[in-house]
Amino acid sequence: MTDLVVETRGLRKVYRDRGRRVVAVDGLDLSVERGGVHGFLGPNGSGKTTTIQILLGLARPDSGTVTVLGEHYPAAVPSAMARVGAVLEDGQFAPDLSGRRNLELLARSADLPKARVEEVLERVDLTGVAKRRYRGYSLGMRRRLGLASALLKQPELVILDEPSNGLDPAGIRDMREVIPRLAESGVSVVLSSHILAEVQQVCSSVSIISEGVLLKEGRVKDLLGASVTRTRVRVSDPDLAAAVLSRAGYEVTKDAGHLVVEGHDHPEQVTRALAAENLFVSELSAIRPTLESFFLKLTGHRPTTSTDPSERAADETAEHIVDGELTDMERAAAGPEPESVPEPVPVPDPEPTATPDEPTEPGDDA
Amino acid sequence: MNGLIRVELARYRSRQVIVLLLVLAALLAAFVAFESAWDTRPLTKTEIGTAQARAAEDAGRSDIKADIASCEKDPTQYLGPGTTVAECKDSLTSATNSYLPRKPLSLSKTVKGNGIGLALLVIAILIIAGASFAGADWTSGAIRNQVVFEPRRSRLWAAKAIAVAISSGVAAFVILGGFWLSLYLVAAERGVPHGSGPMGDVGWHLLRVVALAMGAGVGAYALTMLFRSTAATIGVLFAYSIGGEILLYLLPFDGIGRWSPGNNVFGWLETRLEFFDPTSHCVQSGSCSGPEHISHLDSGLYLLVLLAISCGLSWAAFRRRDI
Repeated sequence: MTDLVVETRGLRKVYRDRGRRVVAVDGLDLSVERGGVHGFLGPNGSGKTTTIQILLGLARPDSGTVTVLGEHYPAAVPSAMARVGAVLEDGQFAPDLSGRRNLELLARSADLPKARVEEVLERVDLTGVAKRRYRGYSLGMRRRLGLASALLKQPELVILDEPSNGLDPAGIRDMREVIPRLAESGVSVVLSSHILAEVQQVCSSVSIISEGVLLKEGRVKDLLGASVTRTRVRVSDPDLAAAVLSRAGYEVTKDAGHLVVEGHDHPEQVTRALAAENLFVSELSAIRPTLESFFLKLTGHRPTTSTDPSERAADETAEHIVDGELTDMERAAAGPEPESVPEPVPVPDPEPTATPDEPTEPGDDA
Repeated sequence: MNGLIRVELARYRSRQVIVLLLVLAALLAAFVAFESAWDTRPLTKTEIGTAQARAAEDAGRSDIKADIASCEKDPTQYLGPGTTVAECKDSLTSATNSYLPRKPLSLSKTVKGNGIGLALLVIAILIIAGASFAGADWTSGAIRNQVVFEPRRSRLWAAKAIAVAISSGVAAFVILGGFWLSLYLVAAERGVPHGSGPMGDVGWHLLRVVALAMGAGVGAYALTMLFRSTAATIGVLFAYSIGGEILLYLLPFDGIGRWSPGNNVFGWLETRLEFFDPTSHCVQSGSCSGPEHISHLDSGLYLLVLLAISCGLSWAAFRRRDI
């Protein structure tokens, strides 16, 4: 039997907003296995934050069952929460207290030893500024303090709600390094994030929800493996090339000066067909599916519709990654490019050289 | 629970706004103590001489002399039944005391005057502090973190309430105790009555003020936990104290003054409160039966019921609400 750290069945939550009933979560069945990093994705307003609030005992569901670390809610919320850490999107601390003092008070309220405070401060690299008042912390330091508070309890499960929101590139990179390390230390992590490139890099499994309903869940590799690969081709005469490829039996679409050959990742066959008609490829790349494209297809939404400025900043970074318009700084922060997001490589004209066995260079799939 | 209360006490102390409010209250108390001592400072010989001269001057005025002469002819007609000729002069001329520029210090009178005024100011400040303590948690979102660390919400609510009660009580005791101690020392130095009689009144008054400060602080905290906003709490309290007063006096019932928030607060703070009940109905019908009295027990019960309702609603809401 699978060991689940989070399990919800038929979870439903309805809010009342000026007399209107708003269904935030509608019969959600969620399963998160122990170990690894689990991404929790959905467009804004899809019910992610409400679900996280319910998992943390901050909100009560109208119906359905919740089990966290084997503890059944609502009766066992206190015993479950003793083993759960959380970084809340807007989780804040007392602004007039230092980072260390904030953690000391939280530790004392949960009967945790004071020594834990120094341990977690060191773990998130905040020891040097621990004396400084929280109000003087940068956003990155605030997030790291949030992470430190989540680790205070030596949790078995850590829930991170948009941990990279509003962070600068260096902060995003730091967070991206910390999350896998958490999982390696045996902690199960649930990560809710708008930044799908980040999710794709750090998560082993994901759940995608929309309008309060689970659309898909599973291992990232399995989900993307089921998606169709495409090939992008740039030639001097795209109209003629499209006609040639169509005649050869390929499904071709035109997109901003280049062609996209659908459902196909054998570039040598494409180049051979075009070369036979004296059409030489100037650019050729395999477009492998990303979580972003998978998400878009599934939900019909971009994951970046927040009105919150800090969320917008994070959203813009995510879109840049998708659009292949990263600045050098953003690229540095984004870390190594995911293997599944290849970059186009100019092919020396006139001879097409790319073969499927060669390492595929990064490209974008906007 | 003790650990949780200590945590909340530390949070209360750590709020910069609260520290500033408490410093303001202490400065106000120091100012009022100084003002009370200055306004009752001993008279100089010149001031006494001037007063005596003015009294003598008045006694020598022809119109007053004529009045005294008329009175002495028939004192009962002039001053009422049972009066004697000897009383005419005393009654119709002003004594030297009437021309003195100020009265000597009296601790009993200060309780009714500056003492109650200062107590109300300090309590108002502690209300804002209690509301701000809870309001900051909601505004910053820190309450979420706190609930994640202590999911037993009733315990968290109670720990915060106890911390506010202790902090408000200690603050009121230190600030107002300091005020009364300084006046006691002034009274002792000037040789005015400061024994068990006046100090007994002061002591009971101080205890009642401390109790009210604790209740007011907790009430403000409870309302803020209910409304999740400091401004909303202060607005509601303002509306209740002003609007409630107006509404009560518009109601066509006699004896409505018993239920006035102001009368009950003063009834609790003053040594003995007597008030006229000028409800419109009573005045129109001419049936007002003279001054009424609110005992400490009555006003205490009234305020306690208000506090219990606020706390009950707040606790119930916090236990169930989504955060």
